[in-house]
Amino acid sequence: MNAFETVAPAGHAGRRRGWLVPALILLLVFAALPALLAGFDRGYFYQIANLALIFVLLSASMHLVTGVAGLLHLGHAAFYGVGAYTAALLTSKLGLGFTVTLPLSGLVAALVAFLVALPTMRLVSIYFAVATLAIGQMLYLVMLNWVDFTKGPNGIIVTRGFELFGFSLSGRIATYYTVAAVVTLSVVAISRLSHSYYGNALRSIREDDQCADAMGVRTVRLKMEAFTLSAFFAGVAGSLWAHMTGYISPGDFKFSESILILAMVVVGGLGSLPGAIIGALLLILLPEGLRGLGDFRNIMVGLVMFLSILLLPKGLLGEVSALRLVRRQLGAAWRHTGDGERKGEGIGWR
Amino acid sequence: MTHLLEIRNVSRRFGGVQAVGNVTAHVDEGELVGLIGPNGAGKTTLFNLISGFTPLSGGTVAFAGRTISGLKPNQVARLGISRTFQNLRVFPNMSVFDNVSVGAVGTLPQGAFGALFGPLSRGGRAHSDEISRRTWEALEAVGLTHVAAELAANLPYGQRKYLEIARALAMRPRFLILDEPAAGLNDTETRDLAAFIKRLHGQGLTVMLVEHDMALVMGICQRILVLASGRKIADGPPDTIRNDAAVLEAYLGVDE
Repeated sequence: MNAFETVAPAGHAGRRRGWLVPALILLLVFAALPALLAGFDRGYFYQIANLALIFVLLSASMHLVTGVAGLLHLGHAAFYGVGAYTAALLTSKLGLGFTVTLPLSGLVAALVAFLVALPTMRLVSIYFAVATLAIGQMLYLVMLNWVDFTKGPNGIIVTRGFELFGFSLSGRIATYYTVAAVVTLSVVAISRLSHSYYGNALRSIREDDQCADAMGVRTVRLKMEAFTLSAFFAGVAGSLWAHMTGYISPGDFKFSESILILAMVVVGGLGSLPGAIIGALLLILLPEGLRGLGDFRNIMVGLVMFLSILLLPKGLLGEVSALRLVRRQLGAAWRHTGDGERKGEGIGWR
Repeated sequence: MTHLLEIRNVSRRFGGVQAVGNVTAHVDEGELVGLIGPNGAGKTTLFNLISGFTPLSGGTVAFAGRTISGLKPNQVARLGISRTFQNLRVFPNMSVFDNVSVGAVGTLPQGAFGALFGPLSRGGRAHSDEISRRTWEALEAVGLTHVAAELAANLPYGQRKYLEIARALAMRPRFLILDEPAAGLNDTETRDLAAFIKRLHGQGLTVMLVEHDMALVMGICQRILVLASGRKIADGPPDTIRNDAAVLEAYLGVDE
């Protein structure tokens, strides 16, 4: 239609995407890797592969809210936990199977996120970050202390593995394929949200939310959507984790996990979906690869994060510098809205 | 008859300071109006009151026969008022194309559902074609198509000014407010900008601009509003304004 469209190298939306890279990735995930895993035939390798995939999904979902929409989210693991507990409780109390718990885990996590977002979404950046931290802790404490319902620190045994229409998919290779299929579909959905005009509107909020507002972007609504959708995918990841390991406990969803997911997004580069995926693979596979170093490996992981912030301020593939984003958000907390004119008017709120 | 923009007894107070006091003014469809005044006269505040950035302390603003005071900036924007900023506010970490596309997205339906399932439906594809068409049109209008893929932060200052205008144009506004578009431009650039604004106006767009550059305002505007200390002191064609005693006093500080 337009002569420009064919030459347009434009941005995230207008870019013509090749089919080669996606095809190679699909080949790797669905053919080469399973073949390799089957060749080694060690349960441990399957565990690592599945864990890496689940964290790819967690990191990709956080990419949407933190990397694209620019909301510093410090409680992502709690929504992962809500999903996992939903799956575990539905299975152990009602005897439901994976096909039902998977969507319900996502929906329950999204619902919790939506309710949380209602009062917090108008908070100015850094206050929002603190609010997500608090909510993450609250959800974690509920998992830990509501012993009657969640069995507290003892955790819950998930009696049913993956299955589809009555067929069990709980064998090693079937489990891998189930996790890979769900994660791939979810990542494709996230990439639709991120690499589209919708993603551009979210990015404009990250860049300058007042200005985005003046351009007609419904900033509050879009932020709520991004936050809720990201929780949905975290919940889906939680369901995968519950059915995959067969046992969950609150320790899997504590604050340090939120920080680990945040680190994946930051190391990979804020705003880049491939970056978030590479970040997740790096921070899951590196510690495993360094097992020979014993406790040293945690220091090595810390070192990687430290160096990446220091030497690659935008992460591996990022659009924005993480430090700059945080600094701006800290600044925004003290900055008066409206060109410094509204003195004293609801500082911290917008 | 109703005016396109009608400002009635509008006031805004910041603590003890009356930034804008009891201003009444209007803009008609198809006009090119200038807003001038010494520093601190309340020009930008008046813009912020119109575009919903700052809540009113008193008075009403109506656009196309509809009261818009109390609306949020994004609601005002979707009704057809689009603006630029005094201190350039482009989205630095986004490409030029993506910057402008935000203006187009802003005035069209926006939602996650459309982004997820849009490519599967004809309506969804038409929606994204429409955004891309509006974006390219706006880029063509300001002559920035050749840097569409460039990061906005990498553009020189002058081009970033036009980028901001393109983003406002992609909203297909009925009324465009330019806040000091010539600030920081040299003489040649200012002349080009004046010609550009005239061309936009010639295409039927209603424009209001705040400007310090008298030559620019006097040269292109049909009518000029003058603010001083938050009050309107004059309103008329450039020739009248040039010889207005109150205006001369406000600018030159003549005492009696």
